[in-house]
Amino acid sequence: MDQAKEGYSDLEKRDIFNNEFMVHIDALYNFAIKLTLDEDEAKDLLQDTCMKAFRFIDSFEKGTNAKAWLFRILKNSFINDYRKKSKAPGMVDYQEVETYYNSDEEKGAGQVTTDLRSETVKGMLGDEITNALNSMDVDFRTVIILCDLEGFKYEEMAKILDIPIGTVRSRLHRARNILKEKLAAYAASMGYK
Amino acid sequence: MRQAWDINSFEMGEFLRWIQKSLGMGKARCPEEERCLELLRIMLDEQATEEESKYVHKHIGNCYRCYQNYELENTIREAVKSKTHHLKVPQKLVNEITSKINL
Repeated sequence: MDQAKEGYSDLEKRDIFNNEFMVHIDALYNFAIKLTLDEDEAKDLLQDTCMKAFRFIDSFEKGTNAKAWLFRILKNSFINDYRKKSKAPGMVDYQEVETYYNSDEEKGAGQVTTDLRSETVKGMLGDEITNALNSMDVDFRTVIILCDLEGFKYEEMAKILDIPIGTVRSRLHRARNILKEKLAAYAASMGYK
Repeated sequence: MRQAWDINSFEMGEFLRWIQKSLGMGKARCPEEERCLELLRIMLDEQATEEESKYVHKHIGNCYRCYQNYELENTIREAVKSKTHHLKVPQKLVNEITSKINL
């Protein structure tokens, strides 16, 4: 995302916004909903993201990866403006979570201990999968959304999240373990076999 | 003419997995399970190198436990993709945004 050498004209700005940004509006909205877990907050977050994208459009290079650029703005807006106010009292700080999941103790204990079967997951309803995903810590939820739902590559995710590729890989691995454990716990509670 | 013993490596893998499944070996731990799981996830994300993909394919061809992991990982991904809600932005909101931009 290099700084454009010269600023765009008003016409060019609108052209970029309408033709390169608006095609991603549904994906952005869904990302906002999955981050905030609240429809009204998601709408505000989307509006803020669009306004910021337009305000800083000169730093976007026409024809490059608009989707990743917009997702990065939305993620930053969420962290700076929404996360603090929507953070539930019992929520754990991400650094603590990551340190815990990277600890040797957890690496041994967290190893694929679930006996979840493919057939069980195939039989689960959309709400059950959504609930498991939504109950994850937002940082772990985010990497699953970016990778599995939006199809971003690790390199793009690293840019969106401002973290090294190695951290993307390890965070994603932990996130998948957590999701699997949540699905297994849910399946056990429902008596699925 | 093809003979009964003339089987390819895929069929051999299937056969080995069938034996392992029949013997209840799916619950047995694999010493390389964690490494294999990490690599097969990278492979499913289409981010693995050729070497990593080869390792995974070879390993799951012979290890029923890791083959089960492969199937489960694939199923969870598919479930996340196909069963979670994908909404359209309300048109009213789209109109509000575009009217602010195009003033």
